[in-house]
Amino acid sequence: MNAPFFKFEYFNTDVSLIIAFAIGIAFGIALEKGGFGRATILASQFYFTNMRVLKVMFTAIVTAMLGLYFLSVIGFVDLSLVYLTQTNMLPMVVGGLVAGVGFVIGGYCPGTSMVAVATGKIDAVVYVAGMIFGIFVFGEMFPSIENFFNSGFMGTVTIPSYFNLSYGLVVFLVVLMALGAFAAAEWGEKKMAAKSGKVKA
Amino acid sequence: MKKFLSNLTTNQKLGGVALVLGIIALFAGNPYGGTSIKVNEKDLALSTVGNSDKVSVTDLADWIIKNKADFELIDLRSEEKFNEYTIPNAQCIPLAQLSSSELLRNQKIILFSDDDVASSQAWFILKSKKYKGVYILNGGLNNWKEKVLFPKAPVNGSKDELAQFENMKEVAKYFGGSAQSDSSVTDSKPEIKLPTSNTSNTKTTAPTGKKKKREGC
Repeated sequence: MNAPFFKFEYFNTDVSLIIAFAIGIAFGIALEKGGFGRATILASQFYFTNMRVLKVMFTAIVTAMLGLYFLSVIGFVDLSLVYLTQTNMLPMVVGGLVAGVGFVIGGYCPGTSMVAVATGKIDAVVYVAGMIFGIFVFGEMFPSIENFFNSGFMGTVTIPSYFNLSYGLVVFLVVLMALGAFAAAEWGEKKMAAKSGKVKA
Repeated sequence: MKKFLSNLTTNQKLGGVALVLGIIALFAGNPYGGTSIKVNEKDLALSTVGNSDKVSVTDLADWIIKNKADFELIDLRSEEKFNEYTIPNAQCIPLAQLSSSELLRNQKIILFSDDDVASSQAWFILKSKKYKGVYILNGGLNNWKEKVLFPKAPVNGSKDELAQFENMKEVAKYFGGSAQSDSSVTDSKPEIKLPTSNTSNTKTTAPTGKKKKREGC
């Protein structure tokens, strides 16, 4: 038995949809339980008062990375069958900026907004409506930005192959980065709490 | 030591585990199995013997008519020949450029050239690079022309064979060829005009990207 299961045809497309449905529900529950269904928590990340988003994201990244890395080293997962998004440098930088600004202003990212809709948050409903309208506008104006959309095409690039580093080294560095980020986040939160405590007092 | 461990919070312990795994990763090697090629000769031989690595031209014709889009059709011949005539939906990747192409390992790839030689070589190259779903169009373009574009009526064919031929006539028409109902004309090949392909092969070597972007988030 090898993973990814779908690519090795252990089940067909129909079954994969059912599995995706189950995973989606589990993911939504995890996000909601993590507090990602509340805009105040998400937005407070950007003011460095609550570092939960950073901690959860880094935990997820490190867990997934270590899991995938070691499972593929022992030959259970065929990493070459795992889909990697292709890179268009400048369009992705611009898109990331737009998404980031939207995240700070709206208090949600696309995924968490869906979670917040599920728990009946009105701001999230408005957010999702805006998102759908944005998709519509994007689709309508696509012909005029198509050249830019396809510019800076780099194919599938990974950090190890781009910088010519070994995969193990990158894994190690990301773990170090995450641990550093956790420590910094804890320290920063204490600092912020002390500060706001003083203001209140 | 014991005291030190018991003083740690769960989060700190988990962080420690991650650190240890990260350090092990430094020495654990490449998850992609490196660039060196390993070939499972038995595996390769078996798939060849079992014909499981071949796609017949009639099956391919059927898939194209039904608009199946779960495979990449690769024309290994030169660009000139590709522009002259190719099977609809094929993209041109000459054999020499195959290893630098953008084909993904999870795609179903069907290879063809004029005959089976170049596609067999390409099949081996891709298989050894751990591409999973690599197939050869059995008989290549020559067989495609013979069986799909210009099928001949069976000599003294049984009822089934004749019915099948009627079917193939329609298929031939679809691809712009014509059935050769008079089976005695065997040397008429030079006169056969290949359908012009400029409408069918919009795909070129340039990655269209559209198809690939269906996957991922």
